[in-house]
Amino acid sequence: MPTAEGGLAVSDLTGQAGSFRLGPVSLAIAPGQVLAVLGPSGAGKTMLLETIAGLRPHRSGRIRLAGTDITSLPPEQRRIGLVFQDAALFPHLSVAGNIRFGPKARRQPPSPGTDPLLRRLGITPLAARSPRSLSGGERQRVALARALAIQPGLLLLDEPLSALDQPTREDLRALLSELLAALDIPAVHVTHDRDEALSISNDLAIIIGGQLRQAGPASHLTAAPAGPETARLLGWTELGPGTADRGTVTTGRLHLPDAAPPGIHGAVRVFYRPEDLLLGTPPAGTQAAASLTARPRRSSPPGPWPASPSPPTRP
Amino acid sequence: MSPPGAPARRWPGGWFGAVMWTLGGLLLAFIVLPIVRLVATSPVASLRQAATTAAIRDATLLSLQAAAITAAIATVFGVPLAWLLARGTFRGRGLIQAVVDLPLVVPHTVAGIALLFLLGRTGWVGGPAGRLGISFYGTQLGIIAAMLFVSAPFAVNSARVAFEAIDPRLEQAARSLGATPWHTFRRVTLPLGLRGVLTGAVLVYARSISEFGAVVIIAYYPATAPVQIYNLFLQSGLTQSAAAAVVLLIVTLSTFLVFRTLASGRLLTRINRAYG
Repeated sequence: MPTAEGGLAVSDLTGQAGSFRLGPVSLAIAPGQVLAVLGPSGAGKTMLLETIAGLRPHRSGRIRLAGTDITSLPPEQRRIGLVFQDAALFPHLSVAGNIRFGPKARRQPPSPGTDPLLRRLGITPLAARSPRSLSGGERQRVALARALAIQPGLLLLDEPLSALDQPTREDLRALLSELLAALDIPAVHVTHDRDEALSISNDLAIIIGGQLRQAGPASHLTAAPAGPETARLLGWTELGPGTADRGTVTTGRLHLPDAAPPGIHGAVRVFYRPEDLLLGTPPAGTQAAASLTARPRRSSPPGPWPASPSPPTRP
Repeated sequence: MSPPGAPARRWPGGWFGAVMWTLGGLLLAFIVLPIVRLVATSPVASLRQAATTAAIRDATLLSLQAAAITAAIATVFGVPLAWLLARGTFRGRGLIQAVVDLPLVVPHTVAGIALLFLLGRTGWVGGPAGRLGISFYGTQLGIIAAMLFVSAPFAVNSARVAFEAIDPRLEQAARSLGATPWHTFRRVTLPLGLRGVLTGAVLVYARSISEFGAVVIIAYYPATAPVQIYNLFLQSGLTQSAAAAVVLLIVTLSTFLVFRTLASGRLLTRINRAYG
């Protein structure tokens, strides 16, 4: 069973929604650590969060938070802050009313840490506004403040940036990274965006079809994905089917010497990471995993934005 | 003149608009003309006389009172059922919804007879209640029971539609923030569905005050306004009953409009402000 002293430990958690089956999922997140759960749409990421939050019944497994078994507790007793994709702010309450909702429901005295939090999130001037009048980014900041106002033991973020435009997303992503780093609680950030996952967390869990395919440090997962679907999610590009023979991989007309790890023979599917490609002569002292020689027939004129893409070069 | 940027034509034009206006206008005329004719038939003097006649006044007050009580009862019992139907995923949900809609398809005289079997002196409920000194037959209680039977679907359905329109994530957010199911209902679901709940109450009130078929069977006396008007029609003819009908129409319409205005606007704003 995964352990995380004082953090979140999920072991063999399963759930069911119609014919869709989630899990078994086992995860451990230490306090202060952020786990990014990456997966395509419909993979069961939101279902996993809802099951951890107690909003959806589980079939089997256990959930422990800060050493306490919360598996059978109702959601209101779990002390889990949840931020939804669409913010889910209460439209009949003001921004201040939304943020006060949790402490009031828990009969907590007003926290002295709330005002600095609002300042940090830049939403102090919005206190009297209606959620309907806020922009997407402001709504997510309020949703974040609302979730943190209950001083949660765990923060669950369900694609909080996916509905935002690019500049707002980048701003909020930076703010979120900074905020999560400062909090001493475990956090789960669900997304289908690889860049977002990697920028927010050092640890990744890949969920596909309700199954946890791979989990671990982001650097390990991006370097060694467990399968084709995982590789695609992590930004690898498929070259196509090929064959491996004594270390050399052949795909189409390409021959890639020293590309296949020892023990791999026969039919393979060839993937590469675009960011690993080096064009030109390898710098002295570096060794490419695989290389090939190509003779350029034509080159684009120098400039930041060529008017049209260059025709493909033949090796 | 239209403000800049506003659509140039407010109503659909061309043959399509003409057809829509003709068909819709004919139905509107069919609703309005009998009322206009009824009001035009009754001179002010006869209206004044009808309004001061004790029997008509008592019957009108009885109708108003019974309809208001029915609206309150239908709301108190209908809102929980509406919430269950909107949020529940239990087996038999469709059957319960069909049962709720049953009074809408049962002829109201049939409803009155069925209620009489249940609430009459020898009925399943009426018998034991009679031994406790509670009678439904020929009492205000019976009138309220009849009104409730025929109008309850409006309370349930209006609230159910309002609850279904609320994003379930709002209730989930409330639960995750520490609200119990009751707290979530009181602070999130009910305020957001209040317009539907109040609209349902107003519809129940309107439907109850106009009820005749079921009421006349279970409680011919004390006479509600529709029963009294029917009596007048049989005893004194069209002119006398028309004056009483106009009095009832004015009272009903004015109270209905007041309640509907409150339900749709100012009352809601005040309640929501109190929640905020």
